[in-house]
Parts: sequence; C-alpha cells; structure tokens
Amino acid sequence: MIALTRMRIAAFLRSGRALAPLIAGLVVLGLIYGGGSSAAAPAYGYSAVMLFPVLAWQTKLLLDAEPDVQRRLARLAVGAGHEASAGLLAAAILGVAYCAAAMLAPLPFHGIRDRLPGTAEPALATGVAVGVLAHLLALLAALALGALASRAVTGTIRNGLTVLVLGAVLAVVLGLGDSVAPWLAPPLMATARAATEVPLPDLGRFTLLTAWAAGWATAALAGYAVLRRRRA
Amino acid sequence: MRFDQVWFRYGRRAGWTLRAVDAVVPPGRTVVVLGRNGAGKSTLLQLAAGVLTPVRGTVRDRPPVVGWVPERFPADQPFTAGQYLQRMAALRGLRGPAEVERWLDRLKLTEHCGTRLADLSKGTAQKVGLAQALLVRPGLLVLDEPWEGLDSVARTLIPELVADVTAAGGAVLVSDHRGEIAGLPDAIRWQVTDGAVRPDDDAAPDHVVVEVAVRRSEADQTVTRLRADGHRVLGIRDPHADDTAGRAR
Repeated sequence: MIALTRMRIAAFLRSGRALAPLIAGLVVLGLIYGGGSSAAAPAYGYSAVMLFPVLAWQTKLLLDAEPDVQRRLARLAVGAGHEASAGLLAAAILGVAYCAAAMLAPLPFHGIRDRLPGTAEPALATGVAVGVLAHLLALLAALALGALASRAVTGTIRNGLTVLVLGAVLAVVLGLGDSVAPWLAPPLMATARAATEVPLPDLGRFTLLTAWAAGWATAALAGYAVLRRRRA
Repeated sequence: MRFDQVWFRYGRRAGWTLRAVDAVVPPGRTVVVLGRNGAGKSTLLQLAAGVLTPVRGTVRDRPPVVGWVPERFPADQPFTAGQYLQRMAALRGLRGPAEVERWLDRLKLTEHCGTRLADLSKGTAQKVGLAQALLVRPGLLVLDEPWEGLDSVARTLIPELVADVTAAGGAVLVSDHRGEIAGLPDAIRWQVTDGAVRPDDDAAPDHVVVEVAVRRSEADQTVTRLRADGHRVLGIRDPHADDTAGRAR
C-alpha cells in the first residue's frame, strides 16, 4: 500500500496537476489575509472553510490522475482494499502538507497577530491550535467529498464535477447558522463560528465538533468503500 | 478457475454483455477466447482477472497472483519505462532491480528503459504491459489481444511466455481476433457469441453455422426437429428480450 501511495503522489506531482489547486489556494489566502493582520483563531477558522473545496478538488485530482486501466492494474497488484486506501492516504499526506503551508504562508506577511492586550482573545498558541484543528476537520471532510467525486466512483468528468460542486456548496449552505439540517453537512461552518467566538468555547465544544466531523467523514468514506467494491 | 453462472452488464439500463457463463480454466492450460469485435471477449477476460465484478454469479478459485495485460497499455503516466516497472515491482512486493532488469532484457526493452511511457511506440508500450504482468510469476495470466502492435520478432515471444506460465502450472487466458492462435497449438478454444461462451469445437472445416429465424410459437418444435435430424443447436436468442436471450439449450 505504501508503494502505491508513493507512486500516486509521484504521478500527481510530476503530471503538474498539483498546480491548479495550489494557485486556487494562493487566491483564497490572498483574499483572507489581504486586508491586514488578524487574530489566529478566526483567521484560521475562515481559512479552513475556504480551503475545504480546494482540498476536495485536490483529492479528486489526485485520485483521477491515474488512467483507469492503471488503477485496475494497481488493484490487481495490491488488492481492492489497499488500492482504495492508498489513494486516500496519498490525498491525506498531500492535504496535510497543503494545510501546513496554508497556515504558515501568512506568517512572513504578518497576516496573523498576537492577542491584543486587555481583551479576552485567546493566546496565539491556543489560536494556532484551534486553527490546526479546523484545518484537519476540513481536510477530513474534503477527503471524503473528493473521494466520492472521483472518476472511479462517478464514471464521468461531468458527474464528478457535479458531486464536487454540489457537495462543497451544500457543506456551506447546510452549515449556516439557521440551517434546518446542519447535521447533514460536515461541521465546517460550526467550527469556524466557534473559532471566532471571544472568549473561545470550552474544550467540550471542540470535542463535539471533532466527533461530528469524524462521524460525517466515516459515513461518507463508508459510502466510498461500498461504491468502490464494484467499481474498479 | 471457474465461471459459475456469470452475468455481466455495464449499467442497469445496458443490455447483458455476457449471460450465464459457465466455464472452467484448467490449471496448466491455455484458453484462447475467440469472437468478433464487441462480442465480449475483453469483458470476459477482465472478469477472469478480477478487474470487473460479475453482476450475477461468481468467478471461483482465482489464483492469488494474477497478471493482466490490457488491450491498450495506459501510457499516459509521467514515468519512464524503467521507473514504471520498478514501481510496479514495488507494488508486487519485489525489492531491488533484479527482476525488472531480467524482464527488460528478455523483452528487449533495455534501450527504452529511460524513455517516457508516453513516448514509447505502441508495440514497445505493449511489451512494458507484458513485463508488468510477469514480474511475479502469475497463477493466472490474462492477455487481451497481446499481439496488437508487436512486430514479427516480438510476436514469437508470446507463445514462449505463455509456455513458461503453463509449464509452472499456471493458466493463461488470451483473446485473439487476428488468427494468431496458430502460435498456441495446444490451446483450448472458447467462442464468445451474443453474450454466450461455448467451446469452439464447431470449427471443423466441414461445418458451417446457419442462422435461422423462426416464429416464437414454433421455436421449441424447430429445435427438436433440428436435433432429431442430427444438427447441433448452438443457441437461441430473442432479439426483443435481451435478458433472456442467448442461452444454448
């Protein structure tokens, strides 16, 4: 599985497909941090929400980089379960690298500032920790959405893009404050709202958000696993 | 390996590509799958390899190591031939370059080792496809039109490779629509026609196949009469009912 993960990362990077989500991410970061410096927790909270569709797109691009026939050859070589898992692992590794770069990028430009004296804002370290959590939860949901939108599942580019765009829009719309079914979407917006609260909510709220994101991603990835059993 | 009442179609709305396939691939033997373009040969081979999953029925007793040479090698990958084979070897759990070098040498690919897959000729890419399938000796080797694009020298390699696998107790399934079967004289022949798979033992030179349309109400009576006259009924199909067609009685 590790050999296939490495092969897929190499194929994705060498093919130049990584460039498009990288440029999109730079645009997103420019929009977030272009207006001046901001406290870590709310800035990273918004960054996680806005990078969610980019991360899902990157996942889809990585899973689609390999020709269909090569995916089937890999399936024969390592088995169906390992083939599907290797793609997700490759996407997760690149996703973590992407999120780390997105969190570090504003630092040289003073996009993140320390706590203002005399306010109830969290300390910089706490804000960064909340930001890391927000990005990891967004990445988890993005992996699941990108996998469900991959060509191995959807069959065609049109269907794949429909799933990707619809999923990204619904994740935001269903996550709005007055949504009728917020539990249908991953807790991207809820995490971002929690990150903007001053003072920050207690640990219990973030634990609940983590469990929610894990449950949503587990359900979505279980759907991916079921679909991939028949779709090589 | 055994096909046990295998049915396959490419979508719920699509017609059946293969229907009620019952067949056995004996170990140590070569099976050549014959049939016109679009008959379902590639589908049958991919079901055998495990690349496709039957919609109904099962494929039993598939060996643990399966080598599959697809009809078209997926050359749209950012690797050289050597890098690709090394990575495929790693996928198969092989360490070191020895096995890759052995196959590069045997298939006369050494000079193309540093060539990007996308820049290879069709025949050379096909040989890379052969090499990846043989890196670990397969218990089942599935070759989908392996002669496509190969020059006359390389064509003679196929019977050699097939003989190596069968001599070690492996089975080989190979499709052929170009009459290359002469290179595999001991092979069992299967014919794929209208979604049905049957032994191609009607290839005797004094036999021909006559297709006859009869009234639905007279079908059973006609079949009985033809059999009574000593003819062999190869199949019955109903062009208006895809799902029930094609089963030989």
